[in-house]
Amino acid sequence: MTAQPDALPPAPVDVSLGIGKLIVPSLIGGLVALTLGVYGRLHHPTGVVVSIAGFTSAGYVKSWLATVATVFAIVQVASALVMYGKIPRVTAPSWIGRLHQWSGRIAFLLAVPVAVNCLYGLGFQTYSTRVLLHSLFGCAFFGAFTVKMLILPKRGLPGWTLPVAGAVVFTALIGIWFTSAFWFFSTFGLHR
Amino acid sequence: MKPNMPLVTLLTGAALGVGVLVASVLSPSSTASASGYGATSSGSATTGVKPASAASAVGGASAAAPATTSATASATAPGTVPTATASVPKADVPPKADYVARTDSGGAAVAISVHAGKAVAYMCNGHAVAAWLRGTAKAGKLELTGKNGARLDVSYRTGKATGSIMADGTKYTFSAPLVHRGSSGHRPPGLYEATATVHGVKIKAGWVVLPGGSQVGSVEYFADADVAPTAQAPVLDLTTGTAQYDGVTLVASLISGFTGSGF
Repeated sequence: MTAQPDALPPAPVDVSLGIGKLIVPSLIGGLVALTLGVYGRLHHPTGVVVSIAGFTSAGYVKSWLATVATVFAIVQVASALVMYGKIPRVTAPSWIGRLHQWSGRIAFLLAVPVAVNCLYGLGFQTYSTRVLLHSLFGCAFFGAFTVKMLILPKRGLPGWTLPVAGAVVFTALIGIWFTSAFWFFSTFGLHR
Repeated sequence: MKPNMPLVTLLTGAALGVGVLVASVLSPSSTASASGYGATSSGSATTGVKPASAASAVGGASAAAPATTSATASATAPGTVPTATASVPKADVPPKADYVARTDSGGAAVAISVHAGKAVAYMCNGHAVAAWLRGTAKAGKLELTGKNGARLDVSYRTGKATGSIMADGTKYTFSAPLVHRGSSGHRPPGLYEATATVHGVKIKAGWVVLPGGSQVGSVEYFADADVAPTAQAPVLDLTTGTAQYDGVTLVASLISGFTGSGF
């Protein structure tokens, strides 16, 4: 497997060169994940962050935002299945691509303030399995999302790259949701 | 040429993240305008005054094996006692004593209480670093330990306690004079503690009140965790002995080796 992504014109070529185009995005994504984790570990968590009107605590803000983001992520997977023709007897409507793009953007942008809040207020923690997994999934999500965004415009990639990238992003977000919002609602209830 | 929309999305998210981060950094850390984890604005919480008996509040103190310590552990070897006197006349070691002082640097404060062979200490910097330590007192020397690698090494006499404390990977030195139990007013200088459960989250606040009335206090959230997120404590009102935390009143109790309260 050679890695010379810029050596040949961007035309459909054989698989080995296509995979080569994944290297730089993967490295960048890995760097993003690592940076978030290192920051979360080095930064002293404050426990107190910017308040948002209408919510009684940061835990609820984050849990609800994360849940909405996860709902949009489910829309992502559903629209992707339609786009790839995986749903029997359902043909992809013309707007399905736009739905996929916008549901993805909304999910991502909702996740960002939650993640900043988490990193700044709580940091990368390891005192229980739940928080360790959450910290790892959290970093992985943003790394994987970065990779997906960077490979989307590329031509000549093997057909499995986008679905795999999307699946990793989705799985990470579900892992995040179960180790945080799901736990939070189970422990404290859906509202105060 | 069409803009690279995925990249636009990514950069928009990054910009949003930076914006929220800046807002978090700039937002006042006082509990008046920011809501912390589990904090509620109307009193549906329970507060409790728990005298800090050695067994209760902090779980797993002296035998604490820290899960992971902060990655920025400045690698100073813990606990070299500056004043190493060869032998200590027994008369110079008080059986009951309290010491408070600011640390030599780092903007922190420390309080130590010794009572009948046991010792409790607390340090905090009024921000994200705080540590509760306990252990035994032997012949004028204290080697106390706390969660997350916290360690205190001190030699104490009738007049003062001198030594160092290692917390959160940093070593703080200090020389703390004895607190005299005079009729100095309502709340004497010393170590104050309050624990409460605010909407299901256990918090533990500690204040070091110095002679002259200034105070340094921090509060830990999820106080039983090995690494509890820590932030600035609300101001302790020295006349009432209470502090306001997001609409909830914390009632502080004094830990004093001299009177035995909290031991």
